[in-house]
Amino acid sequence: MQKYKTYAAGYLFLLPWLLGFALLYMGPIFASLYLSFTSYDLLTAPKWIGWANYRTMFTDDYRLADSVNVTFQYVFLSVPFRLAFALGLALLLNQGMKLLGLYRTIYYIPSLLGGSVAISVLWRQVFSKEGIFNDALGLLGISGPNWIADPKYAIFSLVGLSVWQFGAVMIIFLAGLKQIPQEFYEAATVDGAGAFRRFWRITLPLLTPVIFFNLTITLIQSFQTFTKAFIISGGNGGPINSTLLYSLYLYIKGFSFLEMGYASAMAWLLLVIVATMTALMFLSSRYWVFYSDGRD
Amino acid sequence: MSNKKAIAMLLLALMMLIAACGSGKNNAQDSSSSSAGSSPSGSSATSSAPAETIELRMTWWGSDARHEKTLKVIELFEQKNPGIKITPEYSGFDGYFDKLNTQIAAGNAPDLIQMGGNIREYIDKNALLDLSPYVGNVLNLEDFSEGLLKKATVDNKFYGVTLGVSTFGLLYNATMFEKAGVPLPSENWTYEDFKNAAVTISRKLGPGHYGTYDLSSGNNTSGLSTFLLSNGKELYRDGDRRFDRQDMIDWFTLWDDMRKAGAVTPPDVMVANPPGEIDKSLIVQGKVAIQAAAASQIYGFQELTQDKLGLLVFPVGSKGSGHVTPDPGQYMTGYAKTEHPEAVAKFINFMVNDPDAALILGNDRGVPPSGKIRDLLAAQSTPTDKVLYDFVSTVSRIASDVDYQQFPLDNELLKLYQVTGEKIAFGAQSIDAAVDEFMTEIDKLIVKAKAQ
Repeated sequence: MQKYKTYAAGYLFLLPWLLGFALLYMGPIFASLYLSFTSYDLLTAPKWIGWANYRTMFTDDYRLADSVNVTFQYVFLSVPFRLAFALGLALLLNQGMKLLGLYRTIYYIPSLLGGSVAISVLWRQVFSKEGIFNDALGLLGISGPNWIADPKYAIFSLVGLSVWQFGAVMIIFLAGLKQIPQEFYEAATVDGAGAFRRFWRITLPLLTPVIFFNLTITLIQSFQTFTKAFIISGGNGGPINSTLLYSLYLYIKGFSFLEMGYASAMAWLLLVIVATMTALMFLSSRYWVFYSDGRD
Repeated sequence: MSNKKAIAMLLLALMMLIAACGSGKNNAQDSSSSSAGSSPSGSSATSSAPAETIELRMTWWGSDARHEKTLKVIELFEQKNPGIKITPEYSGFDGYFDKLNTQIAAGNAPDLIQMGGNIREYIDKNALLDLSPYVGNVLNLEDFSEGLLKKATVDNKFYGVTLGVSTFGLLYNATMFEKAGVPLPSENWTYEDFKNAAVTISRKLGPGHYGTYDLSSGNNTSGLSTFLLSNGKELYRDGDRRFDRQDMIDWFTLWDDMRKAGAVTPPDVMVANPPGEIDKSLIVQGKVAIQAAAASQIYGFQELTQDKLGLLVFPVGSKGSGHVTPDPGQYMTGYAKTEHPEAVAKFINFMVNDPDAALILGNDRGVPPSGKIRDLLAAQSTPTDKVLYDFVSTVSRIASDVDYQQFPLDNELLKLYQVTGEKIAFGAQSIDAAVDEFMTEIDKLIVKAKAQ
């Protein structure tokens, strides 16, 4: 009986979200599923065309292939770098230093700003030919290219911007680090384990649930990245589609080319891709994620 | 103890639920009032306010100079018509039509909409207001020539008043020409002359200076379309393209040669400083001497630089000039679902016929369509006005007598053209391969356009 009460409380807590989902999201989701089987130009009524959008996606759209390619590049570069960077800083901040609260706040600021248009505009300046990034390289005697205007490098400026927004991930890592009992470290030190060994044998294994959480959330976010690519490329995903992230191409198709039916179909393909990746993560998790509280 | 806890949780959850519902309701109200356009809010405003203020929204794109002028005209209109209030929604050209499309789909587009050469697309989709009931009473078009009204007339219904006649041309930095000692070209110059001028300017002015922007890359097809027409071809006519693979090869090869000769902006410079964005343009900074532009854009550019700017015609080809007769470039239209069509017509009339408004707007959207207004402006023209007038009359004189037709999916063609040009310029693909892809894709666009 006690157990049911606890469940009920849980569902009550869930209720606001469930209601929001049912009232605000469900309608658009089903509408987009319907629209994905139509030809819809936004200005006149949608026409049913069956699987044609999906067929075109897989057989006759080289820009979509470019776009998927660029998106995977972006995700596989930005996610590991962002996590590693955030973990590194969390470890530093976890050394019990003074003014921890202040540093935590300062390092969190980029995450608050990072999604904004202004920061993307700033990024465009920083990585331009005469930007401060190249000025810094210039001090080392390196003459940098125009990072955002060269198709070979443009994606890296997006990755850089993504890594820079490490704050939220870092805070969660910090919380995770605080959960690890000090006794483990003390015992290990007594046994003669060095700093690296302590990190490798204690911190990392006990942190795997947090890493797993951060990895999943960041992965899903990264697949949906839009603002950075839109602003930095001036809205066209260029040069030569090198920053044409999936969401940006979807936007161009839907709102510039007025193929909202096709864009809806693309949204569903993205859902399938993200769901597959997430499922893979969960399947793999039992081989590397370690829960210390004894539950399996 | 645990009972107390459960009750506390329940209460907390209930509070959150109420809060969530509350905000949900607000959202629903907001979105319903905005998606249904001005109807609910408009009617409630009129019932509560006895003076019956009509509220209109107006959208346009342009440079800062144009925003300032247009805002002043709105203010003047509101002074003279106390019953009407106009809320401006202005932006640059990037994203303008994306936003408009979304608003039209949601049924809450602004009452007054600035349109471009793509007006026909919106007429066909029933997005624009038929102004013909107001012509002759609210809307005075007596001083307009027949030709200017034709493009916005479909099935005897009239959808848009042109704000100015304009045409594409080459915007050039005369100060740079002077510094490099290059004489101004005649209206019969060829692409050979063009190349020589551009190479000389690049060499004389040194590193970081270029004779011309790359007209075979970027999102402006006017270079290509005049090149085709000057060689007896056309980009598009009556549902088909009127050029071959070889024409495209010729065009891209022409530019590739110039690029190799150092006369053209390298592709990364072009991407970082797109010629279409006035505040980033290298013409304004005195680093590039030539770019393609709509002639009336010269005002926005000239405002930002001390250098003297001017307008040149595109080079001639084997069949003479590739220019077409200057066009009504921009229109002011009403939204089909506006609540106040008469007020819309009244404002449009004010924009094109009121002498005070005309003096404020000048030629910013092209040479004004009304003869009386043109005379009024000519009496006090600035040097830039004179450049524009001369250019428009030169183009009218040399234009081929072809009746120009715009490519139906212009927006998509621009993106395709830009990617093709960039692939060649960055060396990511050979001209042959890139052109093959271009031809395949443009044929797909034509099929798509026919299906619509």
